[in-house]
Amino acid sequence: MTEAENTTTMQADLRAVDDALGSGAAGSADALERELQELALALRAESPEPSPGFAGELRARVRDGFPRERRLPRAQLSSLPRIPRLRRPALPVLAGVASVLVALTVAISLQSGGEKDAGQGGVPSPPNATDEGAAPAAQAPASPNGKELSEGRTLDSAPAIPPGPPPERGFAPGERERRIERSASLTLAAPEDRLDGVADGIVRLTDRFHGFVLRSSLSTGAEGTTGGDFELRIPAERLQAALGELSKLGEVRARTQSGQDVTPTFVSATERLQAARAERRSLLRRLERAPTDSAADSIRRRLDLKAGEIRGLRGELRELRTRTDYAAVSVALQAKGGESGISSPDSGEGLEGALDDALRSLGDSLEIAIRVLGVLLPLGLLAAALGLGARAVRRRRREAALG
Amino acid sequence: MNEAIAEPVPTVARTTQTDSFDSLYERTFPKVYAYVASLLRDRSAAEDVTAQAFERAYRKRRTYRPSRGSREAWVFGIARNAALDELRKRSRRARLEGEPEDLAAPSLDDHAELALRREAVRAALETLEDRERELVALKFMGGLSNSEIARVLGVSESSAGTKLHRTITKLREACHDRG
Repeated sequence: MTEAENTTTMQADLRAVDDALGSGAAGSADALERELQELALALRAESPEPSPGFAGELRARVRDGFPRERRLPRAQLSSLPRIPRLRRPALPVLAGVASVLVALTVAISLQSGGEKDAGQGGVPSPPNATDEGAAPAAQAPASPNGKELSEGRTLDSAPAIPPGPPPERGFAPGERERRIERSASLTLAAPEDRLDGVADGIVRLTDRFHGFVLRSSLSTGAEGTTGGDFELRIPAERLQAALGELSKLGEVRARTQSGQDVTPTFVSATERLQAARAERRSLLRRLERAPTDSAADSIRRRLDLKAGEIRGLRGELRELRTRTDYAAVSVALQAKGGESGISSPDSGEGLEGALDDALRSLGDSLEIAIRVLGVLLPLGLLAAALGLGARAVRRRRREAALG
Repeated sequence: MNEAIAEPVPTVARTTQTDSFDSLYERTFPKVYAYVASLLRDRSAAEDVTAQAFERAYRKRRTYRPSRGSREAWVFGIARNAALDELRKRSRRARLEGEPEDLAAPSLDDHAELALRREAVRAALETLEDRERELVALKFMGGLSNSEIARVLGVSESSAGTKLHRTITKLREACHDRG
């Protein structure tokens, strides 16, 4: 018999069985089909029937909407602390809730991290106004135990970095006098015909604040100055006042401030210098009492080495002092209306400004949404996979009950 | 006017839903019980499991989606899960094999031929494996169509039909052997 014939026979048999179950009689003309019909009816007749007592009891429960059993009177129940009932399906739900909580935590930490990093990436800054480029004197690699303080601001009224010790505990928590290496970058825009005047103003202002211009460059075109870059050093304690004055010279398009706590490096260098000096004094005393010439020579060689070490440490400390006494300020000067590629958060007024703000807010929201999604999506997929896996295992265990 | 209309709506909806479950219960209760009892072969356990299944179905009645099969198949699916859970519990204590409970002893007024026939059918049923016996229970005790059986078992309709046909053929041959 072919497969098609088999299928046809099977379908005919099953149809005959259904007919018999539907009509309650075995009426097929075919002997084999009739036999199957009789068998079907006999099997149905084997159906166990519920006892009337059980049927009545269950019907009453259905009618009452399956009231939950109360083991204690309501008055006693209300006095007991309520324990939440956890049912089996709660597991995937709990997994989902946990995933969301983890995602939110990560998103919040990313968000706060993003705010901290705004000095580098959160606020648009001109290509030549990065912190690295702004501070040749401060190009020494960040101390591994230094603490980065960074703050991005786009408004003149932005609060200054607190000069006191940072609120968090660092690697040199006991130090009262913190050594903070500060830097700031400013993008100013002015009409083309006023750029020269603004550039002069920057230099004059730097002098007035007892700072100095480390480097300056002016771009000139057919119609005069088109832009410029200035690397300034301003006494750290006068940084805020200087930034305030600089901001008045033109239209502020971006303003970024950052600070790095180098107190631990400073303390370490100071301690090493003290130790080196103490050792040098000890060596000098031993030199006075050297019993032989060769011993004296040996001590002198060590004294030379120590002197070199002391010089190096002094230099290091001097450089650290310079970097913390003077703030590195980078000023980018742009022609107003020129292709700066930078949108000012507070340059536009009225409808244009509002549109800019709205677009920026939308961008920020999208950024946050993408970050949250980046965390939530894998976690959600993991939770779903776990849920499906648990479901499959449960199903397999159940099926196993049938052998 | 609006308030008068707005007030009774939830009540009507609740009543309709309860009525709907009531009618589902009336339609399926004997069949679900018969299926569960055939599967468990223990009247007392079958009563517990059936009650448990209907209570679960009642509490989850809002989760029913017509796209996933008929309401009857949905109730049978719940009953099957409850019955299999019960079987699992029992399998830890003892295997299913063993003398089944006499679920429906022939009454005195049964004709001798009919009694013999029933005896043969019961004996043939004993030759079936658990899964085959479940198919028989769903089809003949539960009264489900092949597509509903497929839904309950989570297989395709053609697969359910093939398995069912194979089981019926096996039963027929077993009856012949004993007849």
